[in-house]
Amino acid sequence: MPAPDMVIIGGGPAGLAAAGEAARAGLTVTLIEQRAALGGAIFRQPSSGEVVALPRSRAAERLWRSLLAGIAQPKVKVRFSTSFLGVDGDGHVLIHDRAAQTVERLRPKAVIIACGAVERVRLRPGWDLPGVATAGGLQVMMKETGAAPRGRVLLAGSGPLLVALAAQMIRAGNPPLAVVEAGDPLSKPLAGLPLVGHPAILSEAVSYTMTLLRSRVRWLRGAHVERIERRGEVLQATVALRDGSREVIEADRIGLHDGIAENDIGLPDQAESASPIVIHAGDCREALGALGAILDGQRAGRRAAALVKNETVSMASLDKQLERARAVQRAIARLFGPVVTLPGAGELPDDTVLCRCEGRTVGDLKALLQQPGISGREVKHVGRFAMGSCQGRFCAANTTALMAELQAGGRRPEQQDLTGQRWPVRPTPIAAFVNAGPLDPAEDKEELS
Amino acid sequence: MSTAGVFHFQGRAIPFREGETIAAALTAAEIVCFGQDSSGRATRYFCGIGACQCCLVRVDGNIVEACLTPAREGLRVTAAGENDAGA
Repeated sequence: MPAPDMVIIGGGPAGLAAAGEAARAGLTVTLIEQRAALGGAIFRQPSSGEVVALPRSRAAERLWRSLLAGIAQPKVKVRFSTSFLGVDGDGHVLIHDRAAQTVERLRPKAVIIACGAVERVRLRPGWDLPGVATAGGLQVMMKETGAAPRGRVLLAGSGPLLVALAAQMIRAGNPPLAVVEAGDPLSKPLAGLPLVGHPAILSEAVSYTMTLLRSRVRWLRGAHVERIERRGEVLQATVALRDGSREVIEADRIGLHDGIAENDIGLPDQAESASPIVIHAGDCREALGALGAILDGQRAGRRAAALVKNETVSMASLDKQLERARAVQRAIARLFGPVVTLPGAGELPDDTVLCRCEGRTVGDLKALLQQPGISGREVKHVGRFAMGSCQGRFCAANTTALMAELQAGGRRPEQQDLTGQRWPVRPTPIAAFVNAGPLDPAEDKEELS
Repeated sequence: MSTAGVFHFQGRAIPFREGETIAAALTAAEIVCFGQDSSGRATRYFCGIGACQCCLVRVDGNIVEACLTPAREGLRVTAAGENDAGA
């Protein structure tokens, strides 16, 4: 089987758009997706035909169909239930087919990484308890199963995703107990003006907001969840309200969400004359939402194809549209900007978990920072922060932020000091490496000659 | 909606629907803690996108993310930290 010209990691909007664009430019593409279905988070599909899908806007439905149409051609091959393990020193792309339990080595000319965003979750005591998930995590499960999360659900943090999820839960018959929001978008409607040029986004935003406002669900703006505790089967969230008072809300599940961040841990971009070329696309490069991810995926597919074919290509029109997507994100960030001062991580109790995988706390980091000039790398290797199985995807940003807060005047540590520049490892049985197939025949010949 | 089959989690029979992930089936069975990982910390559903590695479980001996792995008939699912080599 000949090597594909391009391997794309991730079957969400950016990956699909990149695949369609690269195939249109004449390249063969293998797109690998870790799940059993395409869609990413935003277009997460119901897990079977029996599930009644959540209603999607007509605009979203059109986008999804055009993405699928773009890859419905023989140059694009999709591999499901396959994870990306990284690029080895010889430029081989390692993938793990989880159904066959084999690791395969591919030798494409280009790799596009389109692994989407991660959610930001601010530190609060109890964020790491079972029963607490990200709001996006609750939302994708709802898209898969067609049902709202069960029991009493509290949503907290900041951003439009909380409003969307609350509206979807209301429509699905299990409204959340409350939505705790650090910002107050209703108090600054002018900040939303740039959305007027984007009717599809605006109408969806208005529809979700009206569903929330017309319901009995309390939208506690200018408030934040200070801490979460487990009392038997129940989670207790202490909410600091805008007027300075406190309220304890009991819930079965809590969804936290403090915005979206690029899932950019791992390989850096490498373009000109690299083998393979590596380009990031979509939310993992810059979190711009679904429309932005499609544009950026198209851009990456076109750019990678041009580099492979040694051609030049104009990006002017896509760049202009991406700039508009950026303006939308800035407007949303202003709308949901916090209207109250949120506590810095340094003010949290010492036993607040900072790095869940290794069970490292705020107090552990404070103790470590007693050593003057300790670097991010040392915080990782000595303190075990970002050393566990998430490899920093959920703790590196919080850890470096707290380091910056406590090490005033020093060099501001970067996330990369903790995470390094290699692709985070994924659970892969040794047997799958033992079963690794040979390189493709074309390359074997090349190595012999 | 119909049950497609049953898998076993810590000895308990968990029904699942066609195409459902292990995490979705455990959640439907109102299981919020998926056991302990190798450092003794509680695992649970968190990000739903295979990034946080908080929902690791052991499926027929191999560690996988519960949020990514489709449930199948007869799977033996245990806590990630449980060494079931001798079982």
